[in-house]
Order: sequence, then C-alpha cells, then structure tokens
Amino acid sequence: MPDLAQFQDAFAEALLAPEPVGRLARAPGFAVYRNTCAHGIVEALRAAYPTVDCLLGEDGFTAAALGFRAEQPPASPVLSRYGAGFPGFLARQPWTSELPYLADVAMLDRLWLEAHLAADRIAPRPPAAAAFQPLRLALHPATRFAWLETPAVTIWLAHRSADGFDDLAPEWRPEGALVTRMGGAALLQPIRRIEHRLLGAVAAGASVPRLGETLGREADLPTLIARLIACGAILPV
Amino acid sequence: MIPTAGLSFKAVHLAEALAAPAAGLWFEVHAENYMIDGGPRLAMLETLRREKPLSLHGVGLSLAGAADPDADHLAALKSLVRRFQPFLVSEHLAWSRSGGTAFPDLLPFARSREALARVARNIDIAQGALGRQILIENPSLYLALDGHDWSETDFLAELVRRTGCRLLIDVNNVFVSARNLGFAPESYLDALPVEAIGEIHLAGHKPDPALGAALLIDSHDAPVADDVWDLYARLLARMGALPAPTLIERDGDIPAFATLMAERNRAAALMRHRGRAPAYA
Repeated sequence: MPDLAQFQDAFAEALLAPEPVGRLARAPGFAVYRNTCAHGIVEALRAAYPTVDCLLGEDGFTAAALGFRAEQPPASPVLSRYGAGFPGFLARQPWTSELPYLADVAMLDRLWLEAHLAADRIAPRPPAAAAFQPLRLALHPATRFAWLETPAVTIWLAHRSADGFDDLAPEWRPEGALVTRMGGAALLQPIRRIEHRLLGAVAAGASVPRLGETLGREADLPTLIARLIACGAILPV
Repeated sequence: MIPTAGLSFKAVHLAEALAAPAAGLWFEVHAENYMIDGGPRLAMLETLRREKPLSLHGVGLSLAGAADPDADHLAALKSLVRRFQPFLVSEHLAWSRSGGTAFPDLLPFARSREALARVARNIDIAQGALGRQILIENPSLYLALDGHDWSETDFLAELVRRTGCRLLIDVNNVFVSARNLGFAPESYLDALPVEAIGEIHLAGHKPDPALGAALLIDSHDAPVADDVWDLYARLLARMGALPAPTLIERDGDIPAFATLMAERNRAAALMRHRGRAPAYA
C-alpha cells in the first residue's frame, strides 16, 4: 500500500486528469469524486460570474469554466475568491473573438464580487460641500474601477437590470465603471474618463493639490471630489 | 437556551430564521463561505448570530491530508471562531488539498496506522490553534480502498482518545457509505463511542444518475430518507438521556423555510422522546 502522501498525489492527479486511467479510474465510485470536484468549481465560478453565465448560457459557461479549471485549479478551499484569472482566460480563448466584450463583462463581474466581499470601513460624515477642502483622499476598501475598450458597462448593466434588455444596441466605444458599496449592496455605475483618472490618482496616493495638477485646470475638482465622496468611492483622510 | 435541532443557514431564509420562535433552534454555516474581508455576507451572519446559536462547519482544513493544516486557513478559521463564538466547530475525516491544489470535496484515504498518526497530529494542530475542541465528521464513501488497518468507528474512537476531539456523526453518510461499500449501518452505529458524539447530521441522498441505487450520492438536495430517520432513532436510543444537537443539512434544491422546519421539528420531537422504545425494534 502506498503511503498517505503517495496515495493522495495519485488520487489528485486522477481527479484533475482529462481522462484518468488505471485501477482507480475504473471504479464507479471514483466518478462521484471527479464529478463533485468539477461541479463545485464550475458552480463557484458561475456564482462569481453571473453575467458571463447569462451571455454564454449554462452549457457554454460550464465548458468555459472547466477549461479555466484545467489551467488554474483553485489553490484555496475558499472558493468565494476563486477565479480572479477568469477574465484574462476568456480574453485568450480563440472562440471569444466573436464576443469581444465578454472578457470586459467578466472583469465587471469580478470587480462587483471583490467590492461585495471587501473589508468594511465607516465613512466619516462629509461636511457641508461648499466649505469642504480635504487635503488627502483614500479609496474605500470596497471601491473598484476600470476603463474598458468595449461598451461592457452598458452590456453588464442591461443584463443585471430587472427591466431586461429587449433592444440592446450599445454604441461601440470605451466605457468606465465604478463599483462602490454604500450601505449594504455593491453598486456598479458608469463613470467618465476624468473620474477614472481621478480615482487612479487617488489610488496612487496623490494629494488633493496634486490631483489638480494631474487633471488639469479645466477639471472641476471640488465637484468631482464631492460626487465621488457622496457615492462612497473615496474618503477624506 | 439549549440548542436542540438546527438547520443549515440559507441567506434566502434570513428573515424567517430570525423570527422563528422554535425553542432550541440553531443554525450551521460552512466556515469557508465567511472567510472574506467584510460586506453584507458577514453582516448577515452577525445579525443571525445575535438571535440564534451558531455552529461553524469547516470543509477545507484537509485534516486527513498528508501535510499539516494550512496555517493561513487555520488563522482564518480562528478569526471566525473569535468573532462569532460558535457553540460547535466541526471538520471532516477527509482530505481536500494536495500539492498546492484545493479540491471542493471530502476525499477518502486508507485508515492506516500512518493515517491515524497524521490525522491525530492535524487535529492537535487545529485544536491548539483554535484553543478549543473540534468535532470530526464521518465522511460519505464511494470507493472501497485497500490498506485499512482500522474500521472507521475504531479510527474515530482512537482519534477521540488521542486528541480529545469529539465526533459529528452524519447518519446519512453512514447510510450512504454502508450501501455503497456493503456493510450494515446498524452495526456501525452500535460500534460508535456514543459518549463522544457532540453533533448529529441528517441529510438527503439520491441514487447515482447512471448507476441507480447501486451507488448512492450524499447530495444534500432532498428530504431525509425514512431509512435514515430509523437509524437516527436507533442512535438516539443508544445515546439515552443526552442526545446531541442535530442538524438538518440541506445545500441544494432549497425548499421553503417551513418545509425545512418540519424536518427539523421531527428531529426535535425524536430528541424529546428519546426515552421511549425506538420504533425500529
């Protein structure tokens, strides 16, 4: 009898193999373990990427998830966090060239999930907007943002909307997304390029005076900052 | 309040769970689902914990793994235990990690002398890190493996003796394993060290889609089967005056809260009437 480590290595290899061979693989009960492992991972990914699931359909998503699992199996039993590499995996698949927005939509699912699971932080009550001139700002731990080359934000919002999307025909142009978590639920909204640049500068640790230099004189900095504080994306520190 | 019969907690049932007046009602969650930094999921568990006793059921420590339990995972579990003060913490007699890969399943192994020493060591490490006793659950088995030096009941009893852990006996797992591997579930229950049982699980199973009743799957997506209720009554009769808190475990095809409560109330009634002659006689 092989020792515990040898047995587990061989068992694990057979669980991950595309078509396992050998005595273990021939036992009917072995398929139960294989199926349970695959099912657990596919369903964890489906829960994390509901919009991608909606776009690909159940069978299409399952095939994509199994492909991803073969390339990047989970390293941790905490499956809530599994699948960070899924958007990048989708972008590399030849078949997604027909769905050029798919990887960006997957990225938005991921950003929403990260915001949903991120640490809590109570925002200080913002003072009256007119008198308010903080020197430094920080991102809330749940804040996520991205600038995407496809209209993925419009597509994502349409699929997540309760109203449905009978005649979705987005204008083909880059879009920005901001996810915040005010109160309970994570909320994704479109943002303009200048808001994305401001968030990037805050993330990089720029002081408020420096933000002014970065964004240029035309930017209405107080209004931009007030809006991003009001939606919980940034906090005065 | 003394916890009697409980339910797997489902987020869709939060309002009903909080409002349920049943005496002794408690809830169990998978610890791994709450190993996150913050947000509404943890807030929801805080809300539940304020109203009802909570049990943390781990699925990822890989106590039967050939390596020590993962230190980060153990730290995350410890942090949850500190925050939520569960009245029970449990894990499985199984492994789920190998060579840097995690498997979302509870995998089998030969109950060899080497395995006994390894599992006992891993339970020691876990209990030491958590600063408390944990319960170890018998797995559902699908494969007859070679190389067992111990029966499962003797293996569990020996773990209790060596580590001071207690046992979580999943009666459905006993039934499923007995069917799949060909042993008598009654003999298994009769061989358990009942004084070490700190929790009981009851769940539903399904026949394998391809092989039918020749291979039962511990699917947790169906009501508890009559055969399993009979075995539960038999185990309660053995336990006598001290029945263990009992959970109706349901993870798939979730029915209405009232349907789960009906099963839960059936378990609570059996616990109350434990002194009576068991029905299976």
